[in-house]
Amino acid sequence: MSRVVSFEGLWCVFEHRSGQLVNALHDVNFEVQPGEFVCVVGRSGHGKTTLLRVLAGLQPPTAGQTRLGDSVVEGPGADRAMVFQQDTVFPWLHVRENVEFGLRALKVDDAERERTTAHWLDAVGLTDFADSWPRELSGGMRKRVALASAMAVGSDVILMDEPFGSLDYFTRRNLHDVLLDLWEATQKTIFFVTHDIEEALILADRVILLAEGKLVDDIPVNLPRPRDEDIRASSAAVDITKTILAHLGITEEEATQV
Amino acid sequence: MTSKDVLDVRAKAQREKRRRRIASIIYIAIGIALFFVAWILLAHEKSPWNYDIPPPFGAVGPFQDIFQGVWGIFQGEGAIAHFWRNLGTSQDMKIKFVHACPDLHPANVNNPFRQVISSLMGWKYTAETAIVTGGPAPVPFVQLPDYCYGYGIHLLVTIVRILIGAALGTIAGLAIGLSSLVFPKVAQVFTPIASFFGTAPIFIAAPFFVIWFGVEVPIMTTIGLVTFYTTLLMYFFSRRAAENIPVGIVESALTLGGTPRSIFRWVYLPGTVPEIAGGFRIALAGAWGLGVLVEVLGIQVGGGHLIDIWRFLIGQLQAPSALVALITFYAALAVVVDAILLVIIRYLTRWSEAGRRLGL
Ligand SMILES: Nc1ncnc2c1ncn2[C@@H]1O[C@H](COP(=O)(O)OP(=O)(O)OP(=O)(O)O)[C@@H](O)[C@H]1O
Ligand SMILES: [Mg+2]
Repeated sequence: MSRVVSFEGLWCVFEHRSGQLVNALHDVNFEVQPGEFVCVVGRSGHGKTTLLRVLAGLQPPTAGQTRLGDSVVEGPGADRAMVFQQDTVFPWLHVRENVEFGLRALKVDDAERERTTAHWLDAVGLTDFADSWPRELSGGMRKRVALASAMAVGSDVILMDEPFGSLDYFTRRNLHDVLLDLWEATQKTIFFVTHDIEEALILADRVILLAEGKLVDDIPVNLPRPRDEDIRASSAAVDITKTILAHLGITEEEATQV
Repeated sequence: MTSKDVLDVRAKAQREKRRRRIASIIYIAIGIALFFVAWILLAHEKSPWNYDIPPPFGAVGPFQDIFQGVWGIFQGEGAIAHFWRNLGTSQDMKIKFVHACPDLHPANVNNPFRQVISSLMGWKYTAETAIVTGGPAPVPFVQLPDYCYGYGIHLLVTIVRILIGAALGTIAGLAIGLSSLVFPKVAQVFTPIASFFGTAPIFIAAPFFVIWFGVEVPIMTTIGLVTFYTTLLMYFFSRRAAENIPVGIVESALTLGGTPRSIFRWVYLPGTVPEIAGGFRIALAGAWGLGVLVEVLGIQVGGGHLIDIWRFLIGQLQAPSALVALITFYAALAVVVDAILLVIIRYLTRWSEAGRRLGL
């Protein structure tokens, strides 16, 4: 069921109203195996979101294609659920109805829908808040609702665009644990955009580095899990950090000066 | 891909932009044409409204008046006078406008609306003469001339008409507005029409409605105008409400497998409630004023007609106090209806803090 995700000669050119042409993706080629946890890292405005939106089917590429197994991505679909950076929980639906949305769209029968919803609400720890309005939840809780909604539709690829960017450190660490547990239990393929190197070290099997729309490096992260402070301070981890920093155009002196 | 390809992309985008612009002009033309086709059909001799709605380009239509007037200017002598004399009120229009007794007007005898209203009024009249034995009405109400059939029927008729008009308009406006979200072509055709008619202030358009649609069948004119006005407002409000739903939320729904149907049901429908509800309150508030105003302009039944009569009676009877009583009646009615609406809206928007803050 799980399929290889492949990006083939992907270009994405935007023309701004001013006439300015932006090459958001520049001949991107790579493949992701089922069950991999991929972090996409890069500086601001260097094409991370664009890459995810192309894979989600929300942004047609200018040239090239994205494939899921044998099928070419042509539009958005439940096989590639996405968790956005901004708050995209439906404020007019209770928490439970939010998680149910995708299942209703897929016309899953009632009993199955209730069972799946209850399962994912439990998995993200929101069972007690199933009948709350989103406005009654904290930001981190709303992110968990978004995560549960994406998980519930049963896609084997999950796209996450800086999902925890706006949360405080502790909430983030907590959500990292929730996410890793879900990933280990389901073996879904996860694309996770971040500009936080520590976050990438905690989560990733593999880091894809984007600079000016080009794939400049593809770094395997072979650190043992769980990645606690000691492991992230190991020399292997520090080497990865240095490689990433170098590619982002920040030399070590620069980094220490900041 | 090379820099030449990048330039191709640019050229393609420009072609696409030009194509879209041409398409939108074509849609505007289609929209206006459809409007006139609908008008011609309504005014056709087989249509039940054919007496009440003049054909757009016929001998008595408003456009004919304007065309004649403009043509007259080119003719030279006395042209401007001719233009003003005929603008919207040519001799034929005046015949439609001025009449002694609508119930006996031969043109109305076979009109189903007319008959409904006549029998309603006849029933009311019989009831009143049985109960009140012709004594004067209590102050502040002035006794009305005999042909007015008492107060109750006028007030009731106005309320019913306005509510029917507002309901029809709301249904039509929402149907068009919300369906245009699922079928973008609906919006491309309807938006130009709505903007064209929406720019004319409705209180300026109202007298024209009375002139064009006639006063013999008031139910058509009041309901028609209120419906028209509410349809326009509700169309704009529902479109704007949907446009204000963040793109990210719709995109999120799409990646969760949302189909047009499920997105309509679970995103657009609930998400537009606060703004649509707010819009409905505004539309209804306008409808009260509009409905009464139209009746002042010459319709023979309804609260507005009473105001019209009292205008003539001022000085002879206690007309001013009666007028104030009538206005108070409508104001109180509007407040009561609004309060009921508020309770319903509170319930529908309980998910939204913003809605509560805005007092929707
Ligand atoms: N819809 C769009 N229209 C025009 N240009 C766009 C659009 N989306 C992205 N771009 C351009 O593409 C480039 C890459 O944008 P993208 O959003 O992918 O960056 P990002 O890596 O996600 O940045 P950040 O970390 O700030 O979110 C930017 O230069 C941006 O101007
Ligand atoms: Mg981004």
